[in-house]
Amino acid sequence: MADLVDSMLDLMRRLPPTRTEENVTALIGICPEYADDLLGSVDQPLKLRTDRATGKEYLACDYNRDGESYRSPWSNEYDPPLDDGTIPTPKLRKLEIAANEAFDTYREMYFEGGASSVYLWDLDDGGFAGVVLLKKTMTPTAPHEPSGSWDSIHVFETAERGRQAHYKLTSTVMLQLVTRKGSDGDAEDKGSGAGNGSGSKAGWKHEGEVSLSGSMTRQTEQDWPILDSSSHITNTGRMIEEMEIKMRNLLQEVYFGKTRDIVYDLRSVDDLEKARRQRELQKELVGFIKR
Amino acid sequence: MNAAERIEAASSFLLQSPPGEINDVLNDVRNIISDDDSLHEGVLPALKEYNLSQFMTVDVPGTTHQSIVSEAARVSATDAGQERFVDPRSKTSFLFDHLSLEASDSQPAEPDADSEPFRAALEKSTLTYLSAHFNDGVASIFASKEPTNQFIIQVVANKYNPANYWAGRWRSEYTIDLNENNIRGKVLVNVHYYEQGNVQLSTTHTISLSLPAAVVTSTPSASASKILALIEDEEGDGEKTFKGLRRALPLTRQKLDWDKVLGYKLGAELSSSKGMFGNS
Repeated sequence: MADLVDSMLDLMRRLPPTRTEENVTALIGICPEYADDLLGSVDQPLKLRTDRATGKEYLACDYNRDGESYRSPWSNEYDPPLDDGTIPTPKLRKLEIAANEAFDTYREMYFEGGASSVYLWDLDDGGFAGVVLLKKTMTPTAPHEPSGSWDSIHVFETAERGRQAHYKLTSTVMLQLVTRKGSDGDAEDKGSGAGNGSGSKAGWKHEGEVSLSGSMTRQTEQDWPILDSSSHITNTGRMIEEMEIKMRNLLQEVYFGKTRDIVYDLRSVDDLEKARRQRELQKELVGFIKR
Repeated sequence: MNAAERIEAASSFLLQSPPGEINDVLNDVRNIISDDDSLHEGVLPALKEYNLSQFMTVDVPGTTHQSIVSEAARVSATDAGQERFVDPRSKTSFLFDHLSLEASDSQPAEPDADSEPFRAALEKSTLTYLSAHFNDGVASIFASKEPTNQFIIQVVANKYNPANYWAGRWRSEYTIDLNENNIRGKVLVNVHYYEQGNVQLSTTHTISLSLPAAVVTSTPSASASKILALIEDEEGDGEKTFKGLRRALPLTRQKLDWDKVLGYKLGAELSSSKGMFGNS
């Protein structure tokens, strides 16, 4: 029943991104038979895990999951251990190791912290696919400090055509920002009518929280030349870098431009009545001139 | 999941609906639960809670303005057990259907003689403030019955633009307490932007002020601009947090040289190998 899955996905597109995990769990509870469809189509915040063998952090998602276990890109081991867990062929694993090293460098250059993981798998038609994951979290050290997290999920598929490879990339970025603000004691300090123009008029006490959260998905398809298998890393690397730059700009525009425009659209700071009168006056003047 | 748990989950989804999208959410939920009979009965309390907490607006029969349906507008149930809501501006009360969002059976509602003069004055200045700052705002001003000498200003503004995948709602409520001589307010702003994604802004802002005599009429405006100052402030801070998460470009101000990244291990100190990253 495809339209049931459509309804679930439409619902997830509307409900608050901050509650994605809770809502996905509830939907699976209602329709357990669609759990795989849902888990495969709804992007959820990446989980940070630690590789038992190397002590390095890695990211867990649906792509490195087998049953209840997750595979680490560093040691290639499943946790909890699995004897028959799916692992890439030796040739693909070699590429996976190199890709993890390359994107670890990328992560350090752009995120200066956080964690990254790359997982690759073979496709039935001879090509292969992969996912590049990046995550960084900022936790506040004081009550009124902002907090936030960035999660990116880049899924790609590639098919070699002679000396060219065709890539299909689907990128999702989840971004969450929370700012808390508070002030009290203005009243005690200044009293009312002090009028020192500090902005805290009349000694209001206020306490606020602004939360911006969401996800965005974009797709691109490109052809790039290949010399050997490692070309796939440089090719997907360039594509993902380009995509993240594009999406970072887009997120900045939506988070700080679009939402602000809508808020100002709801409630104007300027006096609309004054603007209306001005327009009336202008119309009258134009009328005079025309006469 | 048993039937009761399914209704509970459906109710939770409805209560999370973004501005103006309750019908879309209801349609999805209807399809997912696929049991209209039990759903219809089961989610009615959630729909009511949503309408009251989101300051649903309604055309009051026989008037040209809209009124807010909220907890403050609710008058005690009649003998017939029907719940009525009051529009103090037109001095009428009405029945409200929480599914169709329509008012019916309006009747005259006599205001309390002691509180009406101040309530009406508040209403007048609030309406001036409303037309100065909102294109599509609705405001209702209530005199609370218990305790007396307490007034509630509620303002709601909605903008729905499904063609461009966004919707927004502004809600503010100020309780003016002439017993305690203070104002307590809260402002809630929600924005949903969902073009190839799902981005939501949610702000909660609570404010309070001991009441100087002159403040009553000018305050909503002054405080509301303060809220926008907070949003503006947040913008500065928000962008800083954003920069802290992911740089626009690496420290080198250039994109990576992917040919050189290959085979390079992060273990090798970054500082000693700056030449790797796109030196021209």
